[in-house]
Formats: sequence, C-alpha cells, structure tokens
Amino acid sequence: MKRSFGSNSSGNNGSNKKTKKKNNNPSNQKTLGAAWGAASLPSSRSSFRSSPFSDFGSYMEVKNRKLQNQYETEASTSSYGVSGSEKLIFQGISIFVDGFTVPSHQELRGYMMRYGGRFENYFSRRTVTHIICSNLPDSKVKNLRAFSRGLPVVKPTWIVDSISANRLLGWVPYQLDQLNDTQPKLSAFFAPRSHLTPQLVSPVTSYPPETGYSEVEEGSAIRVEDSEESRDHVDNEFDGVGIENSTAETTEQTRNDDLKSSEVNAEILANPGKEEKEVSSELQSSTNLPSASDNKSVHDNGKNDGKSIATAAGSSIRRHSTLEDPNFVENYFKNSRLHFIGTWRNRYRKRFHGSSSGLKWADSGQNTAESAKKSTIIHIDLDSFFVSVVIRNRLELHDKPVAVCHSDNPKGTAEISSANYPARAYGVKAGMFVRHAKDLCPQLVIVPYNFEAYEEVADQFYDILHMHCRKVQAVSCDEAFLDVSDLRDVEPELLASTIRKEILDTTGCSASAGIGGTMLMARLATRVAKPAGQFHISADKVEEFLDQLPVGTLPGVGSVLKEKLEKENFRTCGQLRLISKDSLQKDFGVKTGEMLWSYSRGLDLRSVTAVQESKTIGAEVNWGVRFRDQQDVQHFLRCLCKEVSLRLQGCEMIGRTFTLKIKKRKKDAEEPTKYMGCGDCDNLSRSITVPAATDDVEVLQRISKKLFGSYCLDVKEVRGVGLQVSKLESADPSNKGSRTLTSWLSSAPASVQTEKDDNVIAADCRENADCKRHDTGGVSRLRESNSAEPSVQSGDTSSSLPPMCHLDMEVLENLPPELLSELDGTYGGKLFELIEKKRGKRKINSNSPHISLDGIKGSKSFSVKIHGLRTSGEKECGEPSVPHPSIATTSNERTIEMTDLMPSSLSQVDFSVLQELPEELRADLLGAFPTHRRQHSSSDAPMETCKKQDTEPRDVKDAENEIGFSCSSLWFGNPPPWVENFKASGNSILEKIADIYYRVAQSRPMLSTVLQHTVSEVGSFHDANANDLDKSVYDVCELLKQYIKLKVEGDIEEIYLCFRLLKRLAATSQLFVQVYEILSSFIQALISEHYGGSLSVS
Amino acid sequence: MNSKDDNHSGEVARTLVEFLEVAITMIVFLKGFYPSAAFERRRYMNLVVQRASHPELRDYIQSAATGLLPFIQKGLVERVAVIFFSEDNVPVERFIFKLTINPSCAASVEEGQLEFALRSFLIKLSVSKSLVKPLPHNCRWEVTAYLRSLPEVGSSKEGELWIPTDTKQWQKPPVITPVKSLDSEPLCLQLYLEHPSFSEP
Repeated sequence: MKRSFGSNSSGNNGSNKKTKKKNNNPSNQKTLGAAWGAASLPSSRSSFRSSPFSDFGSYMEVKNRKLQNQYETEASTSSYGVSGSEKLIFQGISIFVDGFTVPSHQELRGYMMRYGGRFENYFSRRTVTHIICSNLPDSKVKNLRAFSRGLPVVKPTWIVDSISANRLLGWVPYQLDQLNDTQPKLSAFFAPRSHLTPQLVSPVTSYPPETGYSEVEEGSAIRVEDSEESRDHVDNEFDGVGIENSTAETTEQTRNDDLKSSEVNAEILANPGKEEKEVSSELQSSTNLPSASDNKSVHDNGKNDGKSIATAAGSSIRRHSTLEDPNFVENYFKNSRLHFIGTWRNRYRKRFHGSSSGLKWADSGQNTAESAKKSTIIHIDLDSFFVSVVIRNRLELHDKPVAVCHSDNPKGTAEISSANYPARAYGVKAGMFVRHAKDLCPQLVIVPYNFEAYEEVADQFYDILHMHCRKVQAVSCDEAFLDVSDLRDVEPELLASTIRKEILDTTGCSASAGIGGTMLMARLATRVAKPAGQFHISADKVEEFLDQLPVGTLPGVGSVLKEKLEKENFRTCGQLRLISKDSLQKDFGVKTGEMLWSYSRGLDLRSVTAVQESKTIGAEVNWGVRFRDQQDVQHFLRCLCKEVSLRLQGCEMIGRTFTLKIKKRKKDAEEPTKYMGCGDCDNLSRSITVPAATDDVEVLQRISKKLFGSYCLDVKEVRGVGLQVSKLESADPSNKGSRTLTSWLSSAPASVQTEKDDNVIAADCRENADCKRHDTGGVSRLRESNSAEPSVQSGDTSSSLPPMCHLDMEVLENLPPELLSELDGTYGGKLFELIEKKRGKRKINSNSPHISLDGIKGSKSFSVKIHGLRTSGEKECGEPSVPHPSIATTSNERTIEMTDLMPSSLSQVDFSVLQELPEELRADLLGAFPTHRRQHSSSDAPMETCKKQDTEPRDVKDAENEIGFSCSSLWFGNPPPWVENFKASGNSILEKIADIYYRVAQSRPMLSTVLQHTVSEVGSFHDANANDLDKSVYDVCELLKQYIKLKVEGDIEEIYLCFRLLKRLAATSQLFVQVYEILSSFIQALISEHYGGSLSVS
Repeated sequence: MNSKDDNHSGEVARTLVEFLEVAITMIVFLKGFYPSAAFERRRYMNLVVQRASHPELRDYIQSAATGLLPFIQKGLVERVAVIFFSEDNVPVERFIFKLTINPSCAASVEEGQLEFALRSFLIKLSVSKSLVKPLPHNCRWEVTAYLRSLPEVGSSKEGELWIPTDTKQWQKPPVITPVKSLDSEPLCLQLYLEHPSFSEP
C-alpha cells in the first residue's frame, strides 16, 4: 500500500491534489481524449512498431509512466470535479477494470479521479489494489489466482455505493458472486502471499492487505463449515472479524483452532443443548487469536493443518510442548486425567443436581456430632478406576499387569497414572516412570486413557449409588460416600455387597466398599477391603483398628506432616492418642492438631453432604510448558483463558478474583527427567480482583496478561501456568436480571400493557441494551441474538401488535436487520416503507451524518479503518480491543453481517485510536454508533449496572434521553461535550464545574486543573435533593471514568492528582463522597490492571 | 524506514538515555545513599542537577544508562527501575521509569520540546524527598531494566554488561505513588514509586 501511495504522490501530484478542484482548466477535455487514444490497444501497437524502444517491456514502462502522468494532470486539473466538496474517499485505492461493466470503464475512471483514487489501464500486481468487473469468463474464474494475483475482485457497484455513501465501503460484500464458490481453494495460496503485507499497512489505506486476509478467511470459513455444518455463517462472520487484527498465518491457524476446538467441544460435551452455545463461543474466542506463529512458513501451516486433522482422528502424533503446538492447551486438557477428574464434578453436579437437592435431605441438619455415633457410612471406591475402565472390555488383559499412561514411548519417561492390581503386585505405582515400571515388570501393558469410557462408567456408577441411597457424596468420579444411617432395615454389609455386585455387572469394573461409623472409618475400611472386597469396622473395633494404623495413612497427613510426626516418635494412631489435644495443637497448629486428635480416635465430624459448589474454577498446565518469547506466552495465556472461560461457562459461574500461578524453574534446576515435565520449581502466585464478575475470555486475557507481566519473568524459565477464578457468583439469569430474553418475556405482557404508548419491539430493544450492559462478553450477546427471533414471535402472540404510528423509529432503525425483517413480516411489509419514508425526511432535515440501515455498509468501512490503525499503531494502543461480533445466524446477506463488525459500544473502542483519527472521521465514527448502543458504553461499571437494574426499563430510557451525553464520548473536542451538559444540568455544583472548565482549563483540558479550582473556589457545597443527587453522582462518575480510562495508560500522575483531589472534595460534599466511593475501587482496579499495583491512598 | 527517521528516533533514545543517567543520579542523591559530598552540582537542561563525583559510581550510572541505548532504540525496554534493597535482598523501594517510544512519530518532535518535558521530571524529582522512605540499614541499590522480550544473545557488546537479575519479588502487588508522567509523541514516560504493600510479610 505504501508503494502505491508513494507513486500517487510522486511527480507533482502531491501538491496538486489540494488545488485541483479549484483549477477548472478548459483544455482538459482534450487531454482526456488524448489519454484514451493512447490507452487503446491498436494505437499502442502501432507506436511500438515505429518506436525506438528496445523491447516491449521498456516500451510499456514508458507508456505506463505516460499514462500515469496524464491521469495525474487530469486529476489535478479535475475535468470531472464539479465542486470542491468531494472527499478523497478512494485515496490509496487503485483499480483495474476488467471487461464490460456498468457503469462503464470510463465512468469508473472518472469517479476514481474525482474521489482521489487511481485507475490503472494495465494490470500490475504492484500498483493495482482492486480489480473491478461485473462478470468473469469461466476460464478466469477457474484460474482466479493467475488472473487476480490475490487481489480482490469486486463489482463496480462498490465504487458507486461508496460514492453515494460518501465514504469508502468495505469491498467484501461486493465481491464477485461467481467467486464465492471457489473460495475454499484460495486459502492455500493466499496465505503465503499475504504474510508480506502487514508491513504495507498504512493507517488510511488498509484495504489491500486485508484483501488477502479475508479471502483466506472466506476459504477457511467454508472449510470449517464442512466439519461444523450448522454454524457456517457464524464462522464466516467471526472469521471476518479475525481478519483485521491477525496476519495471514493466523487465519490459517485460526481455522485449525476452529476445527480443533469444535471437535474438542464435541468430544467433551455430551450435552447437545450446551454444545452449540459453547462451540460458538469457542469459535468466537479462537478467531481472536493472533497466533504466536507469525513467523512460521507456509510449509509449517501445511503441517499444522495435517496435524490438526491427525489429532482429530485420534492419532497419537501430537506435539508435546507449547513450543511447537499452537493448540497445545486444548490438547493438553483433552489428554489430561486431572482435567477429567476436575471437570467431572461439574458434569456430576448437573446430572444429579435434581435428584439430590430435590429430596432436600430432611435431616441433614441434625446429622452432627451427636448423631454421628449412630450413623453408618459406606465408602465405595472403584478399583484402579482408570485402568479397569479401559480394560473392562478386554478380557485378555484382566489378569495381566496393566497401567494407564498418556504415552507409551520407548524412552519411558512418561508417568504412570494408574496401575491395576496385578501390576501393583510387581511394585508398579502411580507416578512412576514407565521406564522404571517396565524394569519392575517387563510384561507391563501400557494403555492410553479413554475419557469417554470414564464418563460413561462414572455415570453408571453414580446411577447405581443414587438408586440405593439418597445421601450420596461424590468425592471423585470413582469414589463416593453413602450415608445409610436412615436405612435401618437394610444391613449395611448386605447393601454394600449388592451395590458392588451391581456395579460389577453394569460397568464391568470391580468396586471396594468400606463401612464405618464415620467417613474416616469408612474410608480406612475401604483401604483394607481393596481390591474388590468390603470391610466393616464396627464401633467397638475402631480402637483396635486404629491402634496399629500408621499415622501416614490417615487422610490429611502428607509426607511433611508424617515426617514431623515420626520425628516426635508418633508412628501409629495408638501412640498419637496418648497425647492431649492441647499439646497436639501446640505442636502442629490449631487445625492440624485438632484433626490429628480426632482422627486418631476415629472421630470425624464431617457428614455426608451433596457436592459443594466449587469455590474456585481454574485451569493449570504444568507439563510441556516451554516458551521461547513473549508471543508464545501470550498465545498460551489466550488459550488458557479460553479454557477457563469455558469452564466458567460450563459451571454457569462468573468470578471476580483472578489468580495467576506460575511455576518457575528453580535457579539451579536441571531439565526434569520426566519428559517435558515441570521439574523443580518455585511456585509464584498473584491475583487481581476486579469490580465486576466476568467469564469473558477477553477480560480474562487482559487480566492474565497483566498478571503475567507483573511477575517480570524470563519466559524461558516458566514451567507451568495456572489461572484460577475465585469469588464466584452465579451467572444464572435470575441473579443477573435479564440476561436472556426468554426470562424477560414471561413478564413481558404485563409491562407492555402498562406502557400503552410503547411497544414490544422498543421494549425488547431496551432489554437488549440492558443485557449487554450486564456483561461485556460476546457470549451473552450471542445468546441474545439466538433467542431474539423466538422472543419476538412470542412477544407478538402475547400482546397485540402496536399500531405502526407508535413505533419508535430510532429503535426500529437500530434493530438487527434480521429482527427487522421479521417484524416487517408481521406488519405485512409496510414497515420498510415507513422506515424508508422517515429516513428520506430526516435526510432532508439534517445534514448530520446519519447512520441508519443503509449506513450499515458504511459502518464496515469504519471499523476496518480502526483496525487498520490498530495494526499499525500497535505500540501506542497496548491492547487493541476487539469488537465483539454478534452472530447473524439466519442471514446470508453479507451487508447485514457487517453491522456487527462495529464495536457494540464506545467503551470497546480504543480511545487512543479514536483520537488519532482525523476530526471528520471521528465525528462520523461517533455518529455511527447507534443510539441504543451508546446506552451501554460503560458496561463494566458495576454501580451503573445496579442502578439500571433497579429502575424500570421505561425510566432507563427516559434517563438516557435526558442525560444523553453521558455515554457518548465525553472527552472529545474542546470544550468537551460534558461541559455543556453540566452547564445545563441544573445542579449548582455541576454548573460550577462547567464554569471553572471554561475559565481555567480550556487551554489545557486537564481534569485535575478543574478539580483543583473546584476545591479552592467552592468552600462548601450545599447538596441538592436526593433525587437530583443520584443523577449528578452518576454523571460525574461517568465523566471521571471516561477520563481515567483515557489517561490510565499514559498519565498516572494525572489520575493520582484527580484521585487525591476527589478525596479532598469528598470531605466537603456529599456528592463527592459518593463519587469517591464509587471511583476509588474503579481506579484501583484499573491501575492494578495496568501497573500491577495500587495507588497509594495516604 | 529511511535514515532520517532513524536519526530522529535515535535522537530521542539518546536524549532519553542522557536523561536517565541524570535522573538515576538524582534518585540516588535524593535517597541520600551516599554522603552528599559524593556529588557535585552540575547544570543539565538548564537545571541544577547532581553528578556523582566518585568515578566508579559515575561510571556505573553512566554505563547502566548508555548500556540501555541499543535496547531503547529497538523499543525493547519497557521499564527501567532503580531498586533499593534491604540487607536480605528484598526491595524496599523501587523507582520505575515506564517508557514507550513510538519511533514513527519521532520525526515530528523537536529536540527542545522533549527536553522541556523531561526537565519537569528532574524538577519534580528534586522536590520529591517527602515521598521516599528512609533507607534501611546496610542497603544496596541497582538499576534493573525490564525488557519486553529478551534480546538475542550477543546482539551487542553493551548488552553483555547486563545480567539477568535475581532480585526478589514482592508477593503482593505494590503500592504506587506516581511522581511524574509525560504522555506525548514520540515518548511516553512515567515515573512512579513502588513500595511494598502494607500486608507484605
């Protein structure tokens, strides 16, 4: 791009451009004729014959130069320029017209000339950026690569529409239809070429590079389609978004990721209802992955491709570290036993939640210490679960030593995760290296995990348990406690054997059972019972049993504590019993002492309870973690966040505290013996708490990036990374207000009736906005758009259609196109007419740029520009925020999909980028945010959300209208819009502030200056009435938040100043007390996100 | 990028390095790490600043600053920290220069403007005595640079002077006290203090 721009400004064109519209040279008509004469083929031939040029090449060179000069002179003298008002919308675009077009060749040339573009008579890969044609012969379509050389082939309407929109529209929707079918084949050859293009990206003209990308994307989208038929258009769109901030390789990568992730999901999630949702969210997140493998060659891509397929097919050719495998994290969790155990719990909870909570364990309250004596607990444990499940259908292995291990490579450096009893007889243990195990037992058979089978067996296992007893506490997928105290009529030993038999019959795996008076005793009994037996420790035998029990076997006594105990000469529980509780507590700490004291007496106060809600959700990888550079880390963190986000979503939880754990190689640690293991490590851990709970991948990414940065580690030293989310809240729709429309709809009829002048659609729309405000994640939006259709229909059935004159045009125009067409249907097609009419009127009435439905195409071009800037100016805008695409599942029309490329709200727009934009463009861009999107610009402000939630939808809208300014950008321009609004607010303090701004800060628009004067000038405030106060607080907070967000990256000094001034103001005014309260946590969270610390308050 | 741009961004980096040298000296002086007799008054950017009169100290600071030049030019340096340690190697106070250079805008800035902006840092530093904590007994200090990514081995001779640090980290996020910020093109520089949070063990 740079190049063509260069040629553009070469010669005298650069200086001429500015003046061209004024010069109306009468002679230019003639020049034009001459130019075309020269351009026509016969004349060029004849001139060649008689020319002094040595060869055709040099002739063409001269000719092209001449044509170019002619074009430039013409453009500068502007034969077509009617008035000086045209924008140079095609700046940087250079077209080549192929074949017959409407409008004609010549007209297109005129357009390009007038609107700052270039027109090439001869195709050249170097100068042309777009090929314009209406129709292509089959041969060209078939051999598109040779024809287009990777350039976009676009219909001429693109030019025309761009001109009528007065801005450059995205060309993608105007792609030649013929080509769409052949797209898949393009991916292969676009990838290699376009990785060169990033260097060419320049802020204003980011089109050509994108060209290549999106065609690649297109291709990949279709590829994905093959495997994921249902979600084709989703992919399409996601990939479309992926374009802007990723390089060509990324897109290749992205596709792999997509493929992979959908498969992963398909495998992991048995629940088909969930699957769709998760797959799509997965897709979404994966498109945002600028892959770390930017520098990989095409061959590599090819390999990856093959590899991903191979992995999918279940082959064991896997890459073993984060270094080589971009999908490492996914594969890791796919093959991790611990992961299986960890996620199993959620599965269990979902599956058995109804049965356990439905019964409500009536007496669980009484089941405390006193009744514990009489209680009977059965502990059931499947024998060597991970092995026996795998070999349950392989009779030939039943009495052979078998161990489960993720790999059976000849080096034998993998760890055995479970061994069956014949193997244990040889001394093979879990955690042993395969190599050592084979030394002990040469005939040892190594089998891989079979996670589906594990799930199946675990489900069967629990089905059986729940059938026999309603008090089941699941410990793990293969281990559970049953409280059978109530079942007096059944002999526990008989029950246990029945259960064991059933388990053996159903699953083919043997189970062991221990029966005791407490959970502790039951568990200890199981140990004796194993394998495939059962053991009952009755109350009178407890002491006898414990007397000789080594302390190390007690649950909760690990190697460290055991050593400590043995040092003190406590080897058995019997010895331990001789010591008083107090001295135990003195020696080992209160809790441990207490535990030792009661365990050594066989006491266990715990009672069998249902699965508890997990307190933390997270994922940790500490095998195969090797990073080369920061990019690898970023990529890895992204994947990890994706995983964690999925887990959160799986549990329907959102969390506020994020802890990043790092395993760092100890300074003198050698490369571990375990292949790719973590070895000897220091464990580091840091956490951040954010004000609003989330499960959004991007937020997680941002936080984890910050956390990782705060360690200041050498990435090569990192051996393990874990991300944990705590302070969990339920993401349940009922707790979150209206996250899904369906929940709202049940109450919809009522509200519709009370607000007669309103209508369903408008309400819907506000609800939409509400939902979006509640969480920033794209996922919920996805749910919305999925549910949008049914909701409208049911809305229609539940209330009569409001008359058309009552419809709010503003709302209608901002509706997603699918929704609108749906609505239009219910109004018998009159709706579009109405909108059309209204729009016509408005256009006449106002000159302001109005983005409505026909502006949809326009918005695409803006968002593209933003991204163009982002890629080039990556340094200044640390983290380009990626707009959340929502999904237009139903539509095939590209134009419609384009709407959602816009960031859904201003808050998602990177302000530093926005500020870089020319004034004009910025204004347009701001105008391009539909009003209902503006409403939720500060979606992460908890205060605001609460406030909104409380008020009626109706009120919200009113408030929005009143405040209006509150969410659009308050800090653009000078004086910024907030000043005016404050002035008109009617609140004396706000008026005063606006006044001060005019006086002191106009030359240097710093908030601290304003606040400083506010502090000194206003002695004491008399606060307005409470009603007014709320609004003022909200306004001020909004203002400050935007300001802080603007400044946090570059100017913490200013933030610090404002923060302290606020504190001072809080001493004098109720309003500022509230503002300070709200903002201090906000500021601290933001600061810790950016700087890894908190501002000093004192 | 043409050579003219190169020159300009190099210019910015050089100015910055010079500034860092002065600023680091100022910080050490401010902390009273050495007796004030170990410094002499000099004029820099038309300001009175201190300079170490002991050649070894001066050399250390100077080499630390100039050693950063190639990395700053490459845009690798994210933060430069002047860290003061207690006896057992735990940092007690860190002066952080967080910097971002945008080479593409370098051409547009005038030397004078940049100097003017950097001057304000030195002025602010000279009056920031109240922000700093008293030094513990038997402490030491060092200059640490945090790079965005590790440079290739042997990329430059100067680079070899830098060794990976084994500084202990704080377990909790620190408390930040901003001193001065400069947010402009081509240089975005922030100076702030980090102290261990109160709950730090």
